[in-house]
Amino acid sequence: MEKAIEVKNLTKIYKGGIVAVNNISFYVNKGEIFGFLGPNGAGKSTTIKVLIGLLRPTRGELFLNGVDIVKHPEQIKRDTGYAAQETAIDDRLTCLENIYLQGRFYHLSREEIEKRSEEVLKMFDLFDRKNNLALTFSGGMLKRLDIAEALIHRPKVLFLDEPTLGLDVQTRQTIWEYIRNLRRRNQMTIFLTTHYMEEADALCDRVAVIDEGKIKAIDSPENLKQQIGGDIITVNFSEVSNGKIQKVLGEVRQIPQVKKVNLGRDKIYQIVVSQRGDKIIPEIFSISQRNGININSIRLKRPSLEDVYLHFTGRTIQEKEESRESLIKTRIMKRKLRR
Amino acid sequence: MINLIVDSWWVAYRELIKFFRQRTRLIMVVVQPLIWLGLMGNMMSGITNNPIAARALGAKSYLDFMTPGIILMTVLFGGVFGGLSIIWDRRIGYLEKLLASPINRGAIPLGKSISSMIQGAIQVVIIVAIASLLGVHFQTGIFGILLIILIAMLFSLILSGLSLTLASIIKTHETLMAVVNFFMMPLMFTSNALFPITVMPKWLAAIAKVNPVSLAVTSIRELTIHGWGWREILPSLSIIIILDIVFILISQFAFQRETVE
Ligand SMILES: Nc1ncnc2c1ncn2[C@@H]1O[C@H](COP(=O)(O)OP(=O)(O)OP(=O)(O)O)[C@@H](O)[C@H]1O
Ligand SMILES: [Mg+2]
Repeated sequence: MEKAIEVKNLTKIYKGGIVAVNNISFYVNKGEIFGFLGPNGAGKSTTIKVLIGLLRPTRGELFLNGVDIVKHPEQIKRDTGYAAQETAIDDRLTCLENIYLQGRFYHLSREEIEKRSEEVLKMFDLFDRKNNLALTFSGGMLKRLDIAEALIHRPKVLFLDEPTLGLDVQTRQTIWEYIRNLRRRNQMTIFLTTHYMEEADALCDRVAVIDEGKIKAIDSPENLKQQIGGDIITVNFSEVSNGKIQKVLGEVRQIPQVKKVNLGRDKIYQIVVSQRGDKIIPEIFSISQRNGININSIRLKRPSLEDVYLHFTGRTIQEKEESRESLIKTRIMKRKLRR
Repeated sequence: MINLIVDSWWVAYRELIKFFRQRTRLIMVVVQPLIWLGLMGNMMSGITNNPIAARALGAKSYLDFMTPGIILMTVLFGGVFGGLSIIWDRRIGYLEKLLASPINRGAIPLGKSISSMIQGAIQVVIIVAIASLLGVHFQTGIFGILLIILIAMLFSLILSGLSLTLASIIKTHETLMAVVNFFMMPLMFTSNALFPITVMPKWLAAIAKVNPVSLAVTSIRELTIHGWGWREILPSLSIIIILDIVFILISQFAFQRETVE
């Protein structure tokens, strides 16, 4: 498959000596939705800024559709769209004025801009509000307008830095829908960053787990989950006799997909299976029945990207993100103050 | 080159939309010269009754003398907006957006300068109109007024060049305002904008003679009070144009470097 983005041994060290990105390599296929998943300060935004030519890499080679990003930054700018982490909308201009100027900065003609802005504004449900000042827009609308602007010149590769930061669940899902549509209708390659597990899971074909400037794992969400072990079935037997239970568990161990049986307290056992836990559950039932044991409850848990994250970084994302809430709060405060 | 000009226009266009949309600012643009000219001119009107003062001013009324000073003062302070708007754009991420787009980087400072120049020109037109209503007679007529506007625009270009260059180094509003004021106030008060050089103490007169503000004021005053005194105007205008070129180049250089870390 053809590669839209190729990064080899990228390192970015900021002036103060902060190593934001530490020798990472990866590629993104054409037409793929690729995600960078990581906590605050992992180096996600830095990577994007280097890829669109806003920052110079300290070391490393970068290619966009085969063009060297460091040597020909002007050339790649026409092919990339960028919606920054913080929405960059001039709120003293109207929605249409914002997008019109963006089109002009990409050297489009008035006719082209008029046609395309109608198209993208309709797509993002902003067309009815096109003549309103951006000042009157909600956070979700601003974010949508920002992404719409990034599309006005029909980029081949779209970079979205935390496209759903600070938005509520509903708005987040509509934005996911827009992103999926973009890929489906325009075969666009999309590189996005996020620290939401569900987002990476719901959207991305492949995900890179990044932490402290290093890539810890890259694969499809499914494969990443597979790597850390399969589904976990938790069973609670109602039988008192340990002997009978051991007999059942012995038979369960015979099922080929069962990898491990963990002894739990209070007759609760964890059965780790390599795949398709939902198909194993009926078998466990029939084995228990044959041995005359009743099951109080049974639960199937698929590993989440959360578990993947824990596996590859040794931390839950929350541990790294304690200050996330307060960070978002101060950002919202700042935004209000600016008005 | 064509791109630089076209891109600059769109950068300026954005500022101009906002300029015309801010009603309070537009009102201030009219009210401020009205107060300065009306109040100050009236307060000081008695001064020309004193023949020595009248000779020092070289004008029939203090208002005639002061109008060129007010014109300069207005464009002087207008030039600061260029730098402030860059800092604003950096805050809201708009600067990053501009840098990520394929526009010529030089269009960012140039566009801001062009918008300052246009805004300055509008303000000068308003001042000239108000001054005329208050009885100031521009000796060189409509063409003289056009040249006055041009000189004011060229002068505002120096100031926006300066403030834009500073804004590429200084990242906060407060610091920029402090630094700009540090230049602005002395520039204003060591010039002949409000007082004639002949009444100044020697040391101040020496500074006032080389102060670029005085150069512009002298030319505009010549056109307002006396006539087409090219001998006064040409040398001053040349120096202003040289300063323009210097500051445009410095601000261009500053922005070619912007965010390339
Ligand atoms: N302009 C800068 N100068 C110096 N250090 C920087 C700069 N920008 C970012 N950093 C540092 O680089 C590291 C990575 O920052 P980056 O913004 O890429 O993280 P991120 O993964 O996008 O985090 P977040 O989820 O908070 O957006 C951080 O330690 C940050 O402090
Ligand atoms: Mg970031």
